[in-house]
Amino acid sequence: MRADTFGESLLSRKWHKYAAVGRITVSSQLAYLADFFIRTLFLVVIIYIFMQLWKVTYEGVGETTIAGYAYRDLIWYLIFAEAIILASPRVNLTVEEEVKSGAVAYRLTRPLSYIGYHYVAYLGEAALRLAVNLIVGGLLGVLAFGVPSFGWGWGAFAAMLLGALTVNFLLRMALSLCAFWVEETQGLVFVYDKLLFTIGGMMLPLELFPDLLRRVCAWLPFQTVVYFPSKTIVAFDAAQFPQMLLLQWVWVIPLAALVGWIYAKGVKKLNVNGG
Amino acid sequence: MLTEANQSRLLPPAERPVLARATALARFVWTCWKLNLAGAMEFRMSFLLTAGMMMVNNTVWMFFWAVYFHRFPIVNGWGLEDVMMMWAVSTTGFGLSATLFGNCYRIAGLVASGQLDVYAAQPKPVLLHVLITRMSVSAIGDVLYGLLLYAIFGEHTLLGACKFIAALLLATAIFVFYNTLVQSLAFYIGNAEGLGLQMFNIVLTFSTYPTDIFRGFSKLLLFTVVPAAFISYLPIGLLRETNGLFLAGALLMALALAAGGTLLFYRGLARYTSGNQIGLRM
Repeated sequence: MRADTFGESLLSRKWHKYAAVGRITVSSQLAYLADFFIRTLFLVVIIYIFMQLWKVTYEGVGETTIAGYAYRDLIWYLIFAEAIILASPRVNLTVEEEVKSGAVAYRLTRPLSYIGYHYVAYLGEAALRLAVNLIVGGLLGVLAFGVPSFGWGWGAFAAMLLGALTVNFLLRMALSLCAFWVEETQGLVFVYDKLLFTIGGMMLPLELFPDLLRRVCAWLPFQTVVYFPSKTIVAFDAAQFPQMLLLQWVWVIPLAALVGWIYAKGVKKLNVNGG
Repeated sequence: MLTEANQSRLLPPAERPVLARATALARFVWTCWKLNLAGAMEFRMSFLLTAGMMMVNNTVWMFFWAVYFHRFPIVNGWGLEDVMMMWAVSTTGFGLSATLFGNCYRIAGLVASGQLDVYAAQPKPVLLHVLITRMSVSAIGDVLYGLLLYAIFGEHTLLGACKFIAALLLATAIFVFYNTLVQSLAFYIGNAEGLGLQMFNIVLTFSTYPTDIFRGFSKLLLFTVVPAAFISYLPIGLLRETNGLFLAGALLMALALAAGGTLLFYRGLARYTSGNQIGLRM
């Protein structure tokens, strides 16, 4: 066997392993599909409330657009933003449980990268949850405004999702891995979630922020998770899109390095008894 | 020598004078609350973290409204102060309900798992005993946050304070008895934990948005089936201008929920059966 073929074969087997983890995650999560749909009730309630709030706001202001958003665009923005946030699996609980129970020791002996395993599982579960959220949220949007015509926005949104989910995973993982040092990481992740809600652009598009705050947000990674994909689909801008996409992956590099560094430090410190 | 008060204590509870019974009950409730708090304080760091997290959570919404009102000074007659006072009333009202009567959010679970036996066997009013047995530690953060909002945005006069306390009493009563009512459905339909949680989330969510953004049928729902408007409108209907009709409606709703919740609970308790689980309260 030639060396390059052998190398390709190894690489392909490696990818197959991770693809299998993703597939297994999706099939196991399919068992909870009904539960995912029930959980979207909150999404429906919050979008309904925002519809009422923004309707009276637009009427009060007497303008058809606010910060460049028409009423229907703003509601669609909020539907996508909420759908992304509510789709995020709680990877910190899994990692924390694995560290506390010592199950991490079994995970480490497997021929899979610990971070890579969780990344693929995260993507699988997030994709399923997001699909459910988008079906329910989309139905609400269609009932209120009819079928949207986002054009290129659909493709751009799909392209941005991977980067958004990756940045979100890396930030969550960086906090979750603190479980090697502290007993509870829930508080840290809780605060992170609130940052996504606020300066990440889940509750309001960044254009509505005061200028100074908006400038600060531009230097932070949170906007790449929610604001970028939601803005891209409702107001696709061919000039901005590649910049946003690039910025997402520019954030991925230092965050991946940070996660790798925390993991390497944490694993050295790990001490599991019994089994 | 036995005093009159001590003599009445020797009688069976049903034969004691009303005042003595009420005093004994008040003492019992107070002791339960003290023990709950002492239990929470055993894990002081966890208590501080959990309560702190709730305060962070509420700050998110303050951020939203601050940015919103920075751009739009008024929404259908509601200003920033009104919205902040709405949050002060609803978070403190919810916080008090979950701190002092924490089990109103868990009755369905207690019924489903057969954990009511231990309360039914004791010589105390069962519903009251159930309600006061649990204290939600995180809700203390909500109470503190609500009081902080009142300190910043509230009216600091005797009348203002009295109105705020009245608003809190109404909001707390609505939260406690609405949840008691919904959770007591577990006696009749089996597992009502999911339904109870969803209904609670809906009321809590709607109680934190200005009532006047809703119109027509949705507004009607908020003043009837999902009585969140009786909480969210308190900053306008009681604190800013005293609206007699609204207040009478809120009072009637609180009384109706109290009567309905209590009735549903005790009727359900009469048909309650459990397995052979042995429970113990220390």
